[in-house]
Amino acid sequence: MWPIIFLKSSIGKKWVMACTGLCLIFFLFSHAAGNATLFYSTSLFQSYADQLHSHPLIVSLFSKGLFAVFAIHIITGILLFLQNRKARPQKYKVHKRAFKNSIASRTMIYSGLFILLFAVIHTAAVSFGDHGVIAHTVSTMFSSFVLSMFYIVAFVVLALHISHGLWSMLQTFGVNHPRYTWIIHKITYAVPLFFLLLFGAIPFLFLFGSGN
Amino acid sequence: MELNSAVPEGPLAEKWDNHRFSSKLVNPANRRKYKIIIVGTGLAGASAAATLAEQGYNIDSFCIQDSPRRAHSIAAQGGINAAKNYQNDGDSIRRLFYDTIKGGDFRSREANVYRLAQVSNSIIDQCVAQGVPFAREYGGTLANRSFGGAQVSRTFYARGQTGQQLLLGAYSALSRQIKAKKVSMHTRKEMMDIVLVGGKARGIITRDIITGKLEKHAADAVILATGGYGNAYFLSTNAMASNVTAAWRAHKKGAGFANPCFVQIHPTCIPVHGDYQSKLTLMSESLRNDGRVWVPKKPGDSRPPASIPEEDRDYYLENKYPSFGNLVPRDVASRNAKEQCDAGKGVGNTQLAVYLDFAEAIKRDGEASILKKYGNLFQMYEKITDSNPLHEPMMIYPAVHYTMGGLWVDYNLMTTIPGLFAVGECNFSDHGANRLGASALMQGLADGYFIIGTAVANYLGSTSLGHVAADKPEFTKALNGVDDRIEKLLRSSKNGPAGKVTVDEIHKELGLLLWDHCGMARNKQGLELALAKLPAIQKKFWNDVYIPGSGKELNQSLERAGRVADFLEFAEIMIHDALDRAESCGCHLREESQTAENEAKRDDENFSYVSVWEHKGAGVPPALHKEPLVFEDIVPSQRSYK
Amino acid sequence: MSEIDISLEIWRQKDSLASGVFETYSLQRISTDMSFLEMLDVLNEQLTREGKDPVAFDHDCREGICGMCGAVVNGIAHGPEPETTLCQLHMRHFKSGDTIVIEPFRSRVFLPIKDLMVDRSGFDRIIQAGGYVSVNTGGTPDANAIPVPSTTAELAMDAAACIGCGACVASCPNGAAMLFTGAKIAQLSLLPQGQQERKERALSMVAAMDNEGFGNCTNERECETVCPKGISIRNIARMNSEYFKASFFS
Repeated sequence: MWPIIFLKSSIGKKWVMACTGLCLIFFLFSHAAGNATLFYSTSLFQSYADQLHSHPLIVSLFSKGLFAVFAIHIITGILLFLQNRKARPQKYKVHKRAFKNSIASRTMIYSGLFILLFAVIHTAAVSFGDHGVIAHTVSTMFSSFVLSMFYIVAFVVLALHISHGLWSMLQTFGVNHPRYTWIIHKITYAVPLFFLLLFGAIPFLFLFGSGN
Repeated sequence: MELNSAVPEGPLAEKWDNHRFSSKLVNPANRRKYKIIIVGTGLAGASAAATLAEQGYNIDSFCIQDSPRRAHSIAAQGGINAAKNYQNDGDSIRRLFYDTIKGGDFRSREANVYRLAQVSNSIIDQCVAQGVPFAREYGGTLANRSFGGAQVSRTFYARGQTGQQLLLGAYSALSRQIKAKKVSMHTRKEMMDIVLVGGKARGIITRDIITGKLEKHAADAVILATGGYGNAYFLSTNAMASNVTAAWRAHKKGAGFANPCFVQIHPTCIPVHGDYQSKLTLMSESLRNDGRVWVPKKPGDSRPPASIPEEDRDYYLENKYPSFGNLVPRDVASRNAKEQCDAGKGVGNTQLAVYLDFAEAIKRDGEASILKKYGNLFQMYEKITDSNPLHEPMMIYPAVHYTMGGLWVDYNLMTTIPGLFAVGECNFSDHGANRLGASALMQGLADGYFIIGTAVANYLGSTSLGHVAADKPEFTKALNGVDDRIEKLLRSSKNGPAGKVTVDEIHKELGLLLWDHCGMARNKQGLELALAKLPAIQKKFWNDVYIPGSGKELNQSLERAGRVADFLEFAEIMIHDALDRAESCGCHLREESQTAENEAKRDDENFSYVSVWEHKGAGVPPALHKEPLVFEDIVPSQRSYK
Repeated sequence: MSEIDISLEIWRQKDSLASGVFETYSLQRISTDMSFLEMLDVLNEQLTREGKDPVAFDHDCREGICGMCGAVVNGIAHGPEPETTLCQLHMRHFKSGDTIVIEPFRSRVFLPIKDLMVDRSGFDRIIQAGGYVSVNTGGTPDANAIPVPSTTAELAMDAAACIGCGACVASCPNGAAMLFTGAKIAQLSLLPQGQQERKERALSMVAAMDNEGFGNCTNERECETVCPKGISIRNIARMNSEYFKASFFS
């Protein structure tokens, strides 16, 4: 069956990574949009959350879908990592990279796993907090310096992950042409930086007491 | 040895057509009953294997490298000729034919050369259809460049990698037949001997390079596409594995060897820079358009070029050939460089180089203009020599790079052994005493794609061949012979390396002998001296060569030793041939036969023939046979560069 | 010209089944004008005279086009110079006193044969799966019958320049052969002659590549960085989209 052949193939798995990655980026954008209300006021954020939860069906569909996409992205990623390790069983004595600036690409599996850890902690923190008053949960959370720092580190790792992921995704979609190189170059910096600044600002907002 | 060239009847332009009509055919259903062995996967071998497999024959294809894609055809740079006349500049089949036969100094067979020109156009069509990315004009039509020896633009090219692209085209066609199971591909196998049953070629013995195992392969016909023997000189532009072994084994089993002394020496190569050097690299001849060739006037002048003033420089080509200057033909340029170096005026560490100076051209046209023309060549030169030709003159020296001689074949590309064919550089067929640029690719593909099919069908259709399996005693005998020879090669190595010589040392010694006496310029005395010196080198090889390891494993020293042993034997007929041909023609310059202006003086009266050598057994001088060259259509003229 | 003294650490492995070890050799007075392979020739002459087994390595044309040679030199396939095969690498890029570590190309698919020699026949099988235009000899249209824009021909040529050396696989942390496969798929999908089998070709060549056991591409860009012919990973992008289109729209 062709879809199975496609999905099992090396390039099919790239497409799976790219498509799920794209979904996750869309999710991040919507998440970022929601969070951005915090910069205005916590009450606006609270009402945004309340609005969202007044449509339980959408929330449930959305979260289950998100979970599925996330799971597929992670499982495929781990699968690729394990397969790739086997493709070169014997390592070189001198281990050197020819391509410069390869930190992001080299660490995808580790940055990815770290993001998974973050997602688990983040979800737990948010869900086990005060159910009704999400704004309260957030402000309690970010009053902890350690937790705030963990979040900021996670956002840096996320940015790193996205910078390579986004570029890889375009490469998988076949978008690589000298004419667009400059714009692709910019996007792969701009998008992760945007997330880093936006998400990263929130803990600071609370740490320095301007969130309320 | 009977030499029947089998040239068909009729006017020159109709011979090939007549021949195809009168040749026997094998019907498609019967073709699958035949098996054909093809040794070599260069342009000729790969194209022959693919084409014959498409026609329905079962093919066993052999190559010495790890993949058929690596044959040395891949290194050809310039292009491939065809009489398409796309440029509307007066080209025609007849003109390509005439240029080729004239370029070969009228020492090739008229009918073969005409056929080559006839099929040249189909080669380009075929390669384009395979997806070979030839250079294009902006309008999408094929681009052409001009090349030496022609006044029309008829050379098709793919950057400086035409050979690579054509070979990959043939390799892809071959790969398709491997996939279709019509070709079974045997990589990393070296042909060690040919097997004759009932006087016909019926198989080969190979050595597996990885395991050292000797194997017997039987077939209905054998095609050799094993390239040239330029490596007899040790240093050449050939690949390291290029060798004469397959052709030489065939020769020893009865195949005549034609014109072995015809070796083309290319004038613009990067010079030898030390005794460790393993090969020579060609630089495009086009450099001589703007570069001025010179050496210091005073022998042994070791000043750097910039500190040698004008009055101490000898622009010897310009001085000697005022009308042609630096653009004299390849052979003249090569020979003069050697002359200067022999006189002690060579430059560089080894004093075996001459300057090719761009200073004046740069002053005249500016750096940018020179770089635009030759930038990539300058880069390549700098990569190898670490010297920038913009700032100091290039050093160049001639190098062996193509052999026009090869196994004698008739019009059907069949050697004097029935059922044994030779295609590409390994036959002698089309280039006479000198090959024009961009014609080697043309000939290899013409033989493989368009000629061998007819020839093989004609042979199979007109010969009664019983079934022969590899368990026949002839095969066992040949295999044992190969085994014995390997034993003999290893015999002198039993007691370790003390007091012994390595394979390369002997090969270098042979190369130097040939280069000095059977190279760019030859004379009777030198050739006789070489012939006298050769047995001592042969003896040293067989008595004193040290080869580590055994024959039953991967052993690159043993591989080389086997090839050098054959070069040592082969050198003998090369020198004999050069000695016999007391005229000068094309690449072969006998110093006794020159015009007053130091140009090659041909002697049609006495030497208008193909020399074909017959092996008479070890220790017995080879016998010379002559195939007279009859020109029905053209009148040979003295080549003139004026 | 100057001369340098170097020491070499070379992977020695007797045959495909033996386990290999690094051996150390020292070479004196190596001319900086030597090519890397000529330096190995000198080592082999030295080893031969000492009655030892010379180092087996693949090589042929020694002018950077046949794709036969290749090894990992100090961690980089074909050594430190960009767009340079091992045979075109010269000793002037090393300093006296340097230790040079020479390892064979490694990948699950490139099985070791001896010392620095490996088996790259997997590449041939990928080409056999569809790296051709199915056209028999003869009966082809006139070469100028189908115009090809010169920019397209140049792009195809960029891809076709691949010499099949295997450095891309050797340098890829995942042992992927996507640059090799992508280059051939790109070449033939660009040219009009390759259109008839375009989809079938992408499907079967990718399947063959996977089947051989090459790894998956994670866009590390090591391959294009070490490629002696400067082949761009744009060709991989093209293959990705070719394969997608072939899977969903054929």
